[in-house]
Amino acid sequence: MRMRNAVLVALAIGAVMYFGLGLVFPREDLHISVKAEALMCIGGAMDAAHPGECVSGFPITNSLVTTIIVDLLLVLTVVFGVRRAQMVPRGFQNFIELVVGTFYDFAVGVDKKNVAKFFPFAATAFLLIILSNLLGLIPGAGSIGMCQPYAHAATAGAEGEGKHTESVYANWPLVCDAGEKLIPYLRAPSADLNMTLALGLISVVLIQYFGLKALGWEYLVRFFNFREGPMFTVIGIIELISEFIRIVSFAFRLFGNIFAGEVVLVVLASLFPYMLPLPFYAFEVFVAAMQAIIFSVLTLVFMSMATQAHGGGHEEAEHGAAAH
Amino acid sequence: MTDEGLRFVAMALAIGLGAIGPGAGIGVVFSGALQAMGRNPEAEGMLRTYMFLGFALAEVPFILSLVFGLLIGFSII
Repeated sequence: MRMRNAVLVALAIGAVMYFGLGLVFPREDLHISVKAEALMCIGGAMDAAHPGECVSGFPITNSLVTTIIVDLLLVLTVVFGVRRAQMVPRGFQNFIELVVGTFYDFAVGVDKKNVAKFFPFAATAFLLIILSNLLGLIPGAGSIGMCQPYAHAATAGAEGEGKHTESVYANWPLVCDAGEKLIPYLRAPSADLNMTLALGLISVVLIQYFGLKALGWEYLVRFFNFREGPMFTVIGIIELISEFIRIVSFAFRLFGNIFAGEVVLVVLASLFPYMLPLPFYAFEVFVAAMQAIIFSVLTLVFMSMATQAHGGGHEEAEHGAAAH
Repeated sequence: MTDEGLRFVAMALAIGLGAIGPGAGIGVVFSGALQAMGRNPEAEGMLRTYMFLGFALAEVPFILSLVFGLLIGFSII
């Protein structure tokens, strides 16, 4: 009963703030950018008609800035955490050992034999992804930025083409003037397809590397199998295609989840600020951790599958039957 | 309806219809894995491996439909 009253009071306060502040700060249409915007162009010039894109030069995008922050955080944490590593950990070393140890136990459950080979990349990917997901959820990332004149705005509606690629985070109450668009300083690196595609490529290439290293040329038999009849040939082709689909699915799973989360938060914050985004925000924190776990565990599982010999499952089953 | 509007409807249909099957499939995968873990807790490590494998395989159609939805929506194809 008291819980319900508290919720009702909070909703009433939220509604009053919504209508009260809505009169003070006018709202614009919200726009969402699928790609990361360039903050500056090294050795080049920004496109005047399309702020956030470089005509020439190397673009420093907002997701690149966030990636560098994440890298610095990770490196500094590890360097200062284990600089004077002790057998009996004290202070901050406890925390690092807790994180790494928990994930190591998880990795041992996936593949006990090769865990020492697979663990470094999987753990690095896990820490990098979870930090970059969470950094995109910090209030201010995606809503604080610089306003750039937006010459294309008047013609964008008429053209129709390029209307949805030209977009602005006009996060209320931080609104730019009409004809200007806001380019946020920070953006979650996982909400940039380049980052997730790079991670997926590294992961799939490493899977092939570990498979080739463990089995030699025998590894390729699972893709080009002409020994055991036509059915296995077809299965091999499907396996080969699925290796390429893995790159796409790694990249788009992470990108889709994190970017969709940002879009949901922006849309809900514009529909009904102060109250409605809260449960979704909590859900996004859960999704951020879940996607990091899914990426690293899938990498571990695929690596462990690649190192098992073709038809190894049958032998295992026979051993199991013999043991019982 | 303009061509642009039709394009957005196509994108929404591609992503929305593509989400039905994988949603049900992922539910089946996790429910089966949880039941098996409940019945035989010793096999949890192996089951977790195959659970995530099944999750990845069940999610592929949705990811493909998402990719094609984005390709349609941003007028690439």
